[in-house]
Amino acid sequence: MAVRREKAERLADEELMPLVGGKDPEAFEVLYDRHGGAAFSLAYRIVGDRAAAEEVTQEAFISVWRSGARFDAARGSVRSWLLSVVRNRAIDFLRSKAGKAPKLDFDDESVLEQRPAAERTEEEALRRETAGEVRGALGKLPGEQAKVIQLAYFGGFSHSEIAGILGLPMGTVKGRMRLGLEKIRGELAEGLA
Amino acid sequence: MSADDHNRWSEDLAAYMLGALEPGEAAGFERHLAGCERCREEMRWFEPALQTLPEQVERQEPPRRLRESLMAEVRADAGVPEERRSLLPDWLRGGWSSRGLRLATGLAVMALAVAAVAGYEIGKGGGDEGGESTVLSTREHGVSVKMVSEGDGGTLHLANLHQLPPGKVLEAWVRREGTVEAVPALLVPDREGRAETTIADMGGVDTVMVTEEPQGGSEEPTSPAIVTMSVPQ
Repeated sequence: MAVRREKAERLADEELMPLVGGKDPEAFEVLYDRHGGAAFSLAYRIVGDRAAAEEVTQEAFISVWRSGARFDAARGSVRSWLLSVVRNRAIDFLRSKAGKAPKLDFDDESVLEQRPAAERTEEEALRRETAGEVRGALGKLPGEQAKVIQLAYFGGFSHSEIAGILGLPMGTVKGRMRLGLEKIRGELAEGLA
Repeated sequence: MSADDHNRWSEDLAAYMLGALEPGEAAGFERHLAGCERCREEMRWFEPALQTLPEQVERQEPPRRLRESLMAEVRADAGVPEERRSLLPDWLRGGWSSRGLRLATGLAVMALAVAAVAGYEIGKGGGDEGGESTVLSTREHGVSVKMVSEGDGGTLHLANLHQLPPGKVLEAWVRREGTVEAVPALLVPDREGRAETTIADMGGVDTVMVTEEPQGGSEEPTSPAIVTMSVPQ
C-alpha cells in the first residue's frame, strides 16, 4: 500500500528506497522532488541540450524506479547513487550520438591549436568540456587539472583519449587527475568546497 | 602486496574512479584492488571528492513536464495488474524453443546487432558460500550471452551489443510456467557494449529473452527478441 505523500516527505532517502523498490509512487515522487533538479542539471552539463537532458533524466529515474531495490546503502548515499545513474545514462547518450555533435563554440584557443580542427572526437571533447559552468572546488583547480577531470567525468573520455586530445603523455593525464582530486579532497577537508 | 606494486597501480586510482581507464586496465586495477587495502583506503578517502563533482555544475531548472511525464509513467507502472501479462504479441505466444537457444524473429528490423543463439555451453564454476554456479553461455552473430545462476536467482550478462538508439533500452523477460514476466532492472549497454541484469528468482524459468523497448521499459514485449535462451530444467 502506498504511503501518503506527507508521510514520505518525512522519511530520509535511505528510508524511501525500500518503498520505491516496493513500487510506491509517492515515495518516488518525493525522491524526484529532492534530487530531480540536481539530476537534470548534471544531465544538461554532460549532454549540453535541454531536450536531451530531459530524456536522460527521465530514463535514469525510470531505471531507478524499476531497480530501486538494487541500491546498496553501504556504498554511499542515495543521492550519489542516483547521480551516478544519471551520469552513466548521459555518457551512454553522448556515445550513442557520436558523430552528431553540434557545432562548437570554441573558447580555448590553446587547446584548439593543438588539434586538427576536423577531427570530430576532439571537437566533441571541447563541447563536452565547455558545455557548462562548473563551480566550487573543481572551478578553483589549476586549468590543466580541471580540464582532464572534466573531460573524463563530464565527457566520458578515457585517459588515453584525453592524452590524444591534449597532446600529453598518458602518465601526465593520470597524474593531473590524481592531483586534481587530491586538491578537491583537501578543500573538502578544510570545509572550503 | 609489495610497495612497488601498490605504487604502480596507485597511479591509476584517480583515473579509475573517474571512469577513465580502458576496460582492460580497469579490470586489472580491480584485481589489484581486491588485494590491496592501501588502494581501498585511498579510494575511500577520494570518494567525497568524486561525489562532489556532480554537485558543482551550474543549476538548471528541469521542465515541469518532466516531472509530470515521469510520474504519469510511474503511476501507470504501479497500477498495472499482473493479468496484463497475458496481452502478449502473437510472436511471443507459444512456439518457444524447447531445446538450446534460438533466434526469435525479426532480425532484419532490429536496430541493434542481434544475437541469434543456436547453442549453449554449460559449465560449472565456483560459487559463493561453497555453492556452484551453472553457466549458460553462447556467442553468435556478434553478441555474447551468459547466464550465471546464483542461489535461487541468476545474472544475465550480454556483451558486444551495439549502442541503443536514443530513447531505447533493453528489457529482459523470463517465461515461467507459460507466463512471461518482466525482469525489473532495465539494461543499457555500457561504453564497451556490455549490459547485465539480475533475475531474482529463476525457479521454474524455462526461457530468458531480451527485447528492445522504449525508455522506461514496457509491461510486455513490444519488439522481436534479440536474444532467446532456453534454460534446461
